[in-house]
Amino acid sequence: MLIGTVRAQEAGYLDQLRIGFGGGANITSIAVLESYNIYEDIGGAQYENSYTKMLQNIGNQYFVQVEWFSKFLIVALRPGTYTYRFSKLNEIDFTNETVERETPYLLRYFTVPLEARYSFDLQRFRPYAGGSVAYSNLLGSLDASNETFIRSRFTAGAVAGTYIDLRYVILDLHAGYNVGLHNITNKTDRFATGNGVTFAQDDIMLNDLQINLSILFSLQKQKHYSNVECFY
Amino acid sequence: MLNAFIEPMNRAQGHIVLFVIMLLIGAGCEINQNEIMPEDGFLKIYNHPEEKLAFFPESIVELPEGGFIYISAVKDEDADIEYPYTTLVRTSASGELTWTMDYDWLAPTSKLILENGSVGFIAMNQQFDAYVVTIDPGNGMETAQQALDMTMPLCSFLDEQGNLVVLGYDFVTRSSWISKYNDNFELQRSNKLPVNTDLEYLIQRHMNKTGQDYPFFIGAYNNSSGAGYFVNCFYNYTLRTVFLDGSSLEATGDIYSFQTEEGISSIVQKSGNIFGLTSYYEGNNYIMAGAEIDVLSSGNIKDIPAEPLYELTYRAPVMAGSLNTNADQFALFISQTNDNSLVVYQYDLESDSLVNTLSRSFEERVEVRDYIQTTDQGIAILAEIYILGKYKRPLLFKLPPDQFVSEE
Repeated sequence: MLIGTVRAQEAGYLDQLRIGFGGGANITSIAVLESYNIYEDIGGAQYENSYTKMLQNIGNQYFVQVEWFSKFLIVALRPGTYTYRFSKLNEIDFTNETVERETPYLLRYFTVPLEARYSFDLQRFRPYAGGSVAYSNLLGSLDASNETFIRSRFTAGAVAGTYIDLRYVILDLHAGYNVGLHNITNKTDRFATGNGVTFAQDDIMLNDLQINLSILFSLQKQKHYSNVECFY
Repeated sequence: MLNAFIEPMNRAQGHIVLFVIMLLIGAGCEINQNEIMPEDGFLKIYNHPEEKLAFFPESIVELPEGGFIYISAVKDEDADIEYPYTTLVRTSASGELTWTMDYDWLAPTSKLILENGSVGFIAMNQQFDAYVVTIDPGNGMETAQQALDMTMPLCSFLDEQGNLVVLGYDFVTRSSWISKYNDNFELQRSNKLPVNTDLEYLIQRHMNKTGQDYPFFIGAYNNSSGAGYFVNCFYNYTLRTVFLDGSSLEATGDIYSFQTEEGISSIVQKSGNIFGLTSYYEGNNYIMAGAEIDVLSSGNIKDIPAEPLYELTYRAPVMAGSLNTNADQFALFISQTNDNSLVVYQYDLESDSLVNTLSRSFEERVEVRDYIQTTDQGIAILAEIYILGKYKRPLLFKLPPDQFVSEE
């Protein structure tokens, strides 16, 4: 009888799991904590540093998604590869020309976001809202500028979206904004020279806006929703 | 049966929790960089908007109150005077510009002098007369000037007793001119080493930055033969390292090479008769990390066993000196390679063995000009770099002390 109870508990636990995969696009926003420049003007002028605008900083992500859900609460894990793109723009002024140097970055993290979602059951559509925290680890790269960043990154953010129940699969249309919780610059190695780059890395936090679409498979017996309601 | 299922689950959960805790601790240590200060290590390139100016950085000092002052010779292609004028730049401890000042003094090819809270440099007027000029490090204003009673200053050295030794060139007698001054810049002793041929044109082109840059330098030695100076200068037709008696400034010995085309590019005394040297001859650069040299005799550079440094640039300038840390003493040789890198060869002072090679690559051509040990036991390298591959500008590279910890 005890064994039967455990099996029942296991079965109940599995019934509340959804597993799937997804992907999407992201837009990176850079928050500068302290600016550094490799160039100093002997004449006393200040050189301008800036970053490319958000809509120019489009990256992507691919992940697997595992969810545990109860009636209204959903806990989701979305480990995967999250890639961010942006560029730093440095100006060097001369009497007859102003040279703008662009340093492109491509940061590829392995990220494990953990999300808590509160959902509303509207039959086929189940919109939700919640919060997320994530740990990321910067993956290796041949790009010399990657050395100017530390490996770890923690973020927190807000998420919103909706599940669309298609009977055999569930679509998860998801948007989230994540705020970097700390400086990601490697302070001991902020000055990059050679290999096509010459710049000083600012102290920055990396924020991002994500839009994702996931396909989930429920281990629970499916509800019988249909586009045409049938009455027998 | 149930325990057989539950216990592995508990163990697995325990391992996961432990892994997460270790991960968080590791990540926290990496994120917490509060102890790393901007002045620990930095790299700055000092640009001037005028394309027609070329900067030739010469020497750097670290100020007792923090920050650096470096001196550059500045060549203006539109100027009526062929010799470069003098510019001093003061920076903060993290390399940010504090002030800059131009001076009419010409061809400042000497080491900066830091003494009694003031900073001095040696340059010449339009009549080739050498002067020592002191400035207020607070604002760069000139506070005093004093004639050194010699012509065409080429380099200088301040010894541990506060004596100033200056190398010049006397175009009348065609001699290298070495003078020693006390800490009030009063002449104590002078000596002229005959070149026996007219090298004024080569000297002029060295000073006005249009010809070959010769490795003129002065240093001090102290061993069983006595205390003295070594001076790299023209002497008896060739570029030689001449050993001088510390009191009389009479030449006691020398190391010579072939005329003016080859020679010693740097030298540092390690202990007694053991010196570390670099040289260039027959198109290559060489290093002699621990050469035994008799300062009382004359010898040919090629008779000293040497290791080639093929990676260095043609006739590479090399800055040699010591680095004293709390744990160890090292000899450093700093130069530049053919692939646009600054390179630091770190030798153990006792064993003469190479313990570390540090390299920093750049997009554009670089050339080392000076280095100092900083108070935090790191080093600051002054170099020149061609910004955009076109404009010659100063570069300051501060390396933190942990770069020089010897690996046991």
